[in-house]
Amino acid sequence: MQKSASSTNLGPGGLDIAQSFFRPIHGASPPPPTSRNTKISVIGIGNVGMAIAQTILTQDLADELALVDVNADKLRGEMLDLQHAAAFLPRTTISASVDYSSTVGSDLLIVTAGARQIPGESRLNLVQRNLALFSKIIPPLSAGSPEAILLIVSNPVDVLTYVAWKLSGFPTNRVIGSGTNLDSSRFRFLIADHLDVNAQDVQAYIMGEHGDTSVALWSSISVGGVPILSFLERQEIAYEKQTLENIHKEVVQGAYEVIGLKGYTSWAIGYSVTNLARTILRDQHRVHPVSVLAKGLYGIDGEVFLSLPTQLGRRGVLGVTNLHLTEEESQQLKESALAIMEVQSQLGI
Amino acid sequence: MQKTASSSTLGPDGLDIAQSFFKPIQGSFPPPPTSRNTKISVVGVGNVGMAIAQTILTQDLADEIALVDINADKLRGEMLDLQHAAAFLPRTKISASVDYSSTLGSDLVIVTAGARQIPGESRLNLMQRNLALFSKMIPPLAAGSPETILLIVSNPVDVLTYVAWKLSGFPSNRVIGSGTNLDSSRFRFLIADHLDLNAQDVQAYIVGEHGDSSVALWSSISVGGVPILSFLERQQIAYEKQTLEKIHKEVVQGAYEVISLKGYTSWAIGYSVASLARSILRDQRSIHPVSVLAKGFYGIDGGEPFLSLPAQLGRSGVLGVTNVHLTEEESQQLRESAKTILEVQSQLGV
Repeated sequence: MQKSASSTNLGPGGLDIAQSFFRPIHGASPPPPTSRNTKISVIGIGNVGMAIAQTILTQDLADELALVDVNADKLRGEMLDLQHAAAFLPRTTISASVDYSSTVGSDLLIVTAGARQIPGESRLNLVQRNLALFSKIIPPLSAGSPEAILLIVSNPVDVLTYVAWKLSGFPTNRVIGSGTNLDSSRFRFLIADHLDVNAQDVQAYIMGEHGDTSVALWSSISVGGVPILSFLERQEIAYEKQTLENIHKEVVQGAYEVIGLKGYTSWAIGYSVTNLARTILRDQHRVHPVSVLAKGLYGIDGEVFLSLPTQLGRRGVLGVTNLHLTEEESQQLKESALAIMEVQSQLGI
Repeated sequence: MQKTASSSTLGPDGLDIAQSFFKPIQGSFPPPPTSRNTKISVVGVGNVGMAIAQTILTQDLADEIALVDINADKLRGEMLDLQHAAAFLPRTKISASVDYSSTLGSDLVIVTAGARQIPGESRLNLMQRNLALFSKMIPPLAAGSPETILLIVSNPVDVLTYVAWKLSGFPSNRVIGSGTNLDSSRFRFLIADHLDLNAQDVQAYIVGEHGDSSVALWSSISVGGVPILSFLERQQIAYEKQTLEKIHKEVVQGAYEVISLKGYTSWAIGYSVASLARSILRDQRSIHPVSVLAKGFYGIDGGEPFLSLPAQLGRSGVLGVTNVHLTEEESQQLRESAKTILEVQSQLGV
């Protein structure tokens, strides 16, 4: 078995205890060529990529974790920093390489790599730079793991998930964007904090673009079985549409607020993506708002990826839930789709 | 109940659903004034402090986590970044404040705050700056949580754990330094990797100073019940003392290697300290090499040094130090390690 860390002092050149340490039993057969090993590759080891990798490790979701980036030193440093915790974790094989061949045979490929927006740069320009990067990354990833699920986190996630889909040649059920999974968590947190209730008892979805045109599905919010809008009506609690929009805006601003305070976000997206990884790899059949091909759904015609409440499992996307949207929500979703299509159409894929 | 995040849009001024959402049942009592809440405070929200806080959160070790630092913006940013994951975690109350009063009633106080060494600065000078910092931090922490366990991570950890002990006035079983818990994990990883074995089946301790004079207890390394040195003898595998020393050095260099590659270490120390937190708060009675008051052990007599020994940890902190047999040489090295630490301690005037 290939050693992930090499110690020059333990081994053939130094102290070689391994030779006679374990003795095989009679009649043992060698391990099968393809063992049922769960392998996750994380491409891009910035704050987001490492928060995802570390959370996956802590939650014991994989047998093998492969880290890929362009910076060999940082890669080795991060790998060692995880390996050094071996005494405190279940055994997980961790590799780190600038070479995509290290991702071969992955069950899940998580892409966080992406160019950062230069101050003053147009969104389109940023997307074009990321398109160039994805053209280099996606083909070898998909070729090395032809059955993998591709999970895109890099922003702008909806367009880049579309790009990844085109470049990989994968069927649409195996290309997913992290989308509004985290936005929805922020939304649920705000409501839960106000009601002093566990956030897991708040069902609330933000859909559409992971960005300015996202849509808060107020009509779908349910807490402990109580649909919120109906509740407000029955209690005769008046509310203004503006208030609802302010709350939605607070959710959208959430990421920017964290970036303004600590320089970047990491922990929340780490938990969010790990949560998706668990649902997929453990075939949990849970519904998550993630970026999927929306064509043909909710009156959307173009080939656009955006977040819809999606049932996920080992095969990836199992299906999209058939929600009832109000006329207004439906319209907002279509507008969100149009906003994304505009950027996509200028890419020339 | 105090809200941790304020939303002007959800609440009395905006959309106030809370008022009539839940209805109490007849005859219910208010909650008792002191509920059995496990509270952990993490002082210092740098890479180390946050890796510790986040691992504790993921491993669901506390009901309440309080973050303290001097930078209010960073504090709020880190708190929000953890709170935003509410949908993916068990409910944990997270607070962040520059005010030590937020740490009141902690079961465990983890201190990662410390001055970083300025290039060219002497070790003693660094120590004195940290002493000044601890003189500001430790008293309010101890006063606010008089029954807490104090877990020091800041470096140089052995001397600073001594300082924290003196400043807190706590009994010695409640002041612990993270010590060589992580060094030992690195040691175990190297051996396990070589043997293609699970690291948890490798018992191996590095003790003494968390630093250059640490001691690798080769005589007590046991893998799956096999004492390594006896094994080497029985198999007639020759080895040189030099080789053992090189392996030990590789462990000590481990941290420096990571720092030179990624700029700092975070994940491993996060897991290491979370593991100590679990042993303590869940009364696991596990043995960890951590920095404790070593006076009276292995011939360590002069002074009151804190250094790492294999210690049994539980809810009341240090339950005892295991009576590991040290060779004459290991014993000597440990005493020298103690001397090194005492030298620095004596110059501090605490």
